[in-house]
Amino acid sequence: MSEASGFIDPSAKASNSTIALAPRPSSLKGLVVGLLDNRKEQADIILETLGNALREHHGVARVVMRSKEHHSKIASSSLIDEMAQEVQIAIAAVGG
Amino acid sequence: MNANVDPIEYFFDKEWSDGLPVVVPTAERVAAMLAGTRRDPDELIGLVPPLMAPATVQAIAQHAVMAGCKPAYMPVIIGAMECLVDEKLNLILLQATTSAGAPFLLVNGPYADEIGLSGGMGCFGPGFRANATIGRALRLIMMNLGGGLPGITALSGFGGPWRYSYCVAENEAESPWPSYAATHGYTSDDNVITAIPLEGPVLVWDDASEDHEHLVVAIADMMSALGGGNIYRQADMAVVLSPQHAEVFAKAGLSRDDAHRLLIARAGRPLGEIKRGGLWRGESGTKRWPFKINLNDDTAFVPAIGDPADLHLIVAGGSGSPSSLVMHGITIASRAVSRTYAI
Repeated sequence: MSEASGFIDPSAKASNSTIALAPRPSSLKGLVVGLLDNRKEQADIILETLGNALREHHGVARVVMRSKEHHSKIASSSLIDEMAQEVQIAIAAVGG
Repeated sequence: MNANVDPIEYFFDKEWSDGLPVVVPTAERVAAMLAGTRRDPDELIGLVPPLMAPATVQAIAQHAVMAGCKPAYMPVIIGAMECLVDEKLNLILLQATTSAGAPFLLVNGPYADEIGLSGGMGCFGPGFRANATIGRALRLIMMNLGGGLPGITALSGFGGPWRYSYCVAENEAESPWPSYAATHGYTSDDNVITAIPLEGPVLVWDDASEDHEHLVVAIADMMSALGGGNIYRQADMAVVLSPQHAEVFAKAGLSRDDAHRLLIARAGRPLGEIKRGGLWRGESGTKRWPFKINLNDDTAFVPAIGDPADLHLIVAGGSGSPSSLVMHGITIASRAVSRTYAI
């Protein structure tokens, strides 16, 4: 409310909170990497290729692949929590 | 704000507008708007994605002022907001979509008439304050509280005039059938609002067909248009019959359910035709179809409406107009929501 200006400010008030970025590891060696398929066409192909490359060239211990319910829906909290329990790094892909 | 600045220009500069001038939401105007509802100004109706700012009754009233609403519209706007934040509608999709979809608002019941919300001649606008401003209030909320600004989170390639306001009543008075709401389990006394995720309307003009067997042809053809999307993937769809077109079906003894079934039965194409292009992605695109057909049989009939509940059959517009509208849907990830609203 900005009474002094003669009107009520209609802008969004919700976005004051910030979420800190997760710390970035300096190496992928020995880490478990999560790959989140957003279910767009061929996102799975991109991620499988990426997963193989991470294992072969960067020493990633294991790759965990998960999929969203639908490309136009946000990932559910339970899916995010489950991945957070199991992996140290997660990568999402947009397919074509 | 500098006292010398025109507040209307200030709202343009701050990007608090849909591109048209807004009514400045002074404390007095917002208080007057709040008199149009019994709800507590601090009541949270929902968070508006993707920014997730709270749509309180107070914030809704503020945007209703900006849109040019009367206080009497508040119950409808709050009811619509409750539909928009329903998980089933998945508003974040409608905000961020690269298509041109928007929540189409259909209002049934006696209150629509009381506030002058038109379902008759020219109801899709322009010319009716309630139709123009109720939808506009919701759009301003999607922009200001949801952050749905073009090119930032609203990624529709074209946008569309229906994204300013997309709100009509059903023409219950001139319809030969029970209302849309009645066929969805509501009584004729209920005030009902339905939000349906839809693309813009396409007109089907037909003043030549004198019987339902001919009339259904062009409407069904538009429903199954390759560019419309529904033929390739399950989604909602609305067909809005003018009273004159509805009468052609009714005159032949068809009930609303009969007309609904006939449209579904005729709207479709042979598999070989939809394989020629469009959204055909081979077998992978058919996995979500709610029906099974032999994908090796190019003569197999592919229906545009796989589940009868996906087709929303509505009667609106002016009598004397031999035309109907078809509004294609978006995806299965954003679905229609209906609810009653209290006055």
